[in-house]
Amino acid sequence: MSRTMIEVKDLTTKYVTRAGENVYAVDHVSLKVEEGKSLGISGESGCGKSTLALSLMGYYFPPLYYTSGDIIIDGRDISGMDPNEVRKSVLGREIAYIPQAAMNALNPTRKIIDFIEDVIRAHDPSMSRNDILSLAKQRFEVLGLPAEVLQKYPVELSGGMKQRTVIAVSVILAPKVLIADEPSSALDVTSQKMVIKMLRDLMDRGYIKSMIFITHELPLLYNVTDDIMVMYAGQIVENGTAKEAVFSPLHPYSKGLMGAIIVPEKGLRGGKLTAIPGVPPNLKSPPPGCRFADRCRYAISECKMHSIDLRDAGSGRSYRCILSEGQMGEAGENG
Amino acid sequence: MKGYRQYFLRKLGWFGITFVFAFLLNFILPRLMPGDPVAVITQKVTLGMSSQSGVAKIYREYAELFGTKKPLLEQFALYVANVAHGNFGISFSQYPRPVAVIIRESIWWTICLQFPAIIVGWLIGNILGALAAYLKGGFDKVLMPISIFLSNFPAFGMAIIMLVVFGITLKWLPISGGYGFDLIPSLSWSFIWSVIIHYQLPFWSIVLISIGGQAIGMRSMSIYELNADYVKYSRFMGIKDRKIIGYVFRNAMLPQVTGLALAIGTMVSGALVAEIIFSYPGLGNTILKGVMGQDYPLISGVTLIITLMVLSANFIIEMIYGLIDPRIKASQAD
Amino acid sequence: MNTMVKQAFQSAKFLVGFIIFMIILLTAFIYPVIVRDPPLAILGQGTFFEPGIYVNVFDSIHSKRYKLSLDNAAAKRIAAKLGNEERLDMQAWLLAAGVPKESIDIVNTEKLFDLWVKTYDPNKSVGMTSAKRNYYVRLDQSLKGILGTEGVTIASTNPDSGVLEQTDSIERSDFVNLGQVPVVRVLPLGTDNFGRDMLTELISATRTSLVIGFVAGSVATLIGLILGLLAGYLGGFVDDLIMFITNLFTVIPSFVLLILISFSIGQESRGAFTIAVVIGLTSWVWTTRAVRAQVFSLRNRDHVNLSKLSGHSFIRIILRDILPYIASYVIMALILQVSSGILAEAGLSILGLGPKTTEVPTLGLMMNWAMIYSAHITGKWWAYIPVLVDIALVTFSMNLMNTGLDQVFNPTLRE
Repeated sequence: MSRTMIEVKDLTTKYVTRAGENVYAVDHVSLKVEEGKSLGISGESGCGKSTLALSLMGYYFPPLYYTSGDIIIDGRDISGMDPNEVRKSVLGREIAYIPQAAMNALNPTRKIIDFIEDVIRAHDPSMSRNDILSLAKQRFEVLGLPAEVLQKYPVELSGGMKQRTVIAVSVILAPKVLIADEPSSALDVTSQKMVIKMLRDLMDRGYIKSMIFITHELPLLYNVTDDIMVMYAGQIVENGTAKEAVFSPLHPYSKGLMGAIIVPEKGLRGGKLTAIPGVPPNLKSPPPGCRFADRCRYAISECKMHSIDLRDAGSGRSYRCILSEGQMGEAGENG
Repeated sequence: MKGYRQYFLRKLGWFGITFVFAFLLNFILPRLMPGDPVAVITQKVTLGMSSQSGVAKIYREYAELFGTKKPLLEQFALYVANVAHGNFGISFSQYPRPVAVIIRESIWWTICLQFPAIIVGWLIGNILGALAAYLKGGFDKVLMPISIFLSNFPAFGMAIIMLVVFGITLKWLPISGGYGFDLIPSLSWSFIWSVIIHYQLPFWSIVLISIGGQAIGMRSMSIYELNADYVKYSRFMGIKDRKIIGYVFRNAMLPQVTGLALAIGTMVSGALVAEIIFSYPGLGNTILKGVMGQDYPLISGVTLIITLMVLSANFIIEMIYGLIDPRIKASQAD
Repeated sequence: MNTMVKQAFQSAKFLVGFIIFMIILLTAFIYPVIVRDPPLAILGQGTFFEPGIYVNVFDSIHSKRYKLSLDNAAAKRIAAKLGNEERLDMQAWLLAAGVPKESIDIVNTEKLFDLWVKTYDPNKSVGMTSAKRNYYVRLDQSLKGILGTEGVTIASTNPDSGVLEQTDSIERSDFVNLGQVPVVRVLPLGTDNFGRDMLTELISATRTSLVIGFVAGSVATLIGLILGLLAGYLGGFVDDLIMFITNLFTVIPSFVLLILISFSIGQESRGAFTIAVVIGLTSWVWTTRAVRAQVFSLRNRDHVNLSKLSGHSFIRIILRDILPYIASYVIMALILQVSSGILAEAGLSILGLGPKTTEVPTLGLMMNWAMIYSAHITGKWWAYIPVLVDIALVTFSMNLMNTGLDQVFNPTLRE
């Protein structure tokens, strides 16, 4: 029975605008990742995935506030925990984060090894410099970085090297959960593949016990994660294994995403190319019914009337729609 | 250190070129002056003389002495040679004192007053700015308007206000001179004390003027750095706030050092005027006397020396910057 | 363009600065139309007259008189007569005469006076020299004189007989209406050391300084704009050359250059306009850099490339595609340059290298005069404080406008 590394129940967090309005960027999100597994979260810009990442870490800084829900990391409930305690024992150690555009995440005036020392000392003040050094070298090796990099300043490294350095630093304390926020978006395709391979490597070797991979490119996740979750306007709209989500999406939004992408994958050739018209709703005052209804080709009047729950599609799959697969098929033929 | 050497040599080269340029300007500009300076001094010296040939003779002598009749290129060569020997010519208004002597008397007062004052002002200003960015709230709201007000205030304005408030109304400190009029420079305790209390008003005026601009700049820099990506990432990795603050201010300081280098020229100008207001026996007053006496060797010499001082200060600051910013060494290494 | 202007006026800071500046500007230009006195006319025969309303005494004698009975007239006269020194002297005498210290109150005029009247005896010996005693006798008599009721006699020479005859007498209860005295001069700010009306002079000086600042600022901005445009747009060798020159001028303190140039052109040629141009010629560095940076970032924008591809001429690209985008920047630079131009002129004038002193006053010149004639030391505050406040207001309002504009054009700076 594998351990659940991270379990999130009904998490809701909000931003408070200057005018005092509440924007629920993460709206009753639940997820679960087991040891040795990885979860991909996909969605367009502004759907709340990065906010979700910050919320998972317990990283609440104004204007972001925790509202309700549980976050349990390896059996330990950290939601609503004192931020200082979070800083000391959770951040970096239990759960680590690789930010977007990681290139800029390093302090330009500090040597890499000195920064690593700072990170480690913040959690384990007694570790000796030598131990730190060998630990760092170990991680760097997995990521294909030579040991000399440790003695350099960020300005001396290329973009790709900085990215890998940041990954190495993030996993240095062998976190239970690694959240990678668009780790490959700022890179060229070759580097993208390399980063993904490294992340998988890290997991295979046990340096990280589970991973959450955030991206806006849904098909990318097929090669990376075991399960996929699709987010739209702050809510989860689809849930399933990678294969299921990419090749047989259930929610109209996921269908639209896959239809809008030109990827020479098996089974997609010959299909029609479609774009999703419209824009996501303003979360300051979300629409009463389904949030995707305005852009959905299958929408019926009932869709806009009340909020939609996740619909169980069997064996762990779920999607947030009142229509069944069959009903959508009919509408597709007619519309 | 190799990277550093390149940086050093480049800055040194630049220093040299700028100095030569300033030197040229310094030589040429006064000589564009319409009118004949030798005639002016001859007139002064021969006041009351009735013999025409006598006057003419004196005129010739001075022309010879000051070399104003020779072709420009020869004059320049002469000038360079003289300056290299520390000879800036002879003052017109305080004839026959050599300019070098006059400068030597006042330069130490200026250096000892201005450079500590500018540096102290810079330090205090930066600390205040950093605190304002970090503490926010009340401290920030109080500091900002004061800084804006101070930085907009012209240098001489501040000096005058200080003089009137502290020197005249409250009568706490003396308002003119470098030391008491009745004292003769000596190593006695009373003389040193007199120097110290005469130092206070000019010193604090210059400090206050420097604080305003620095505080605002440092505050902006600090706010910018506090929102930088690496701050967020360091927090994500669990690093304590105190350490992060250390990062932020070290990084915010760097552009401030460069800023100081750029601003030194302006600060020195302001400080010179402050000196004049306090009748402080420094270069400021020397210029004043030179202007009033139409003394162009003196003006020429003083401006050259001031330019040299500013250039050197600039150079030193850039050197220090090269030492404290690790990126310089690193990026020059290949 | 219109939206920019509208936005600008919405910014509180800009609005406040603009209003202050406009008030000063309008005052400077409208006042001379109303008050037509030449600013450098010497009114006061003497130095540093205090601010106040100056009534011609001769005319007041001949003006219509009114009798008023005021209760506190006598008290006011005594209080005016008893300056600090006199009070201390009285205290000294009283102490010497054996009056206990606690019962002497030199601040309360009435009590002091009463005590004096009760105690003073010219014949009492209190151990003072005869000269001092005579002083006290005179003091006492003049005090008693105040309480008296006699008036003053006016006598003038009879044109026929050449003898001094009484022509008029003035009673203590005689008053004249200020409005009916024909020759009255209000000097709200007193006079300066030469005897000139400070207020008129100040306003005229403000106008001159503003003009100088504006000319200097325009020259500097123009040079900076042209150099910045050339360097930023053409790049390459032109850029290197211009940056080289700019860097040279950055390090050489502009003030020193100003001194050199001002001095070199000699006293005769130093008109206000010339000085303004000279200031402009030495302060273009910052603007050049700023404009160049902006142009650099614009150079490769799509619309510029489009124009280049379309074969538009160089001038046209600059005018149509680049200038509008840097306009906001240039305006801010102009404001800053004007402000620093005014300050530079002030600094120069304090050194004595400012515009000629005989034509028009400038703010710096007024400061210079105040200082040379030791106004700040002798407490003649009206000779320099108004000038300082004026300079501070002008520069402050301009900086405020600038900060306001900055926030409008750079939303990231908004609080």
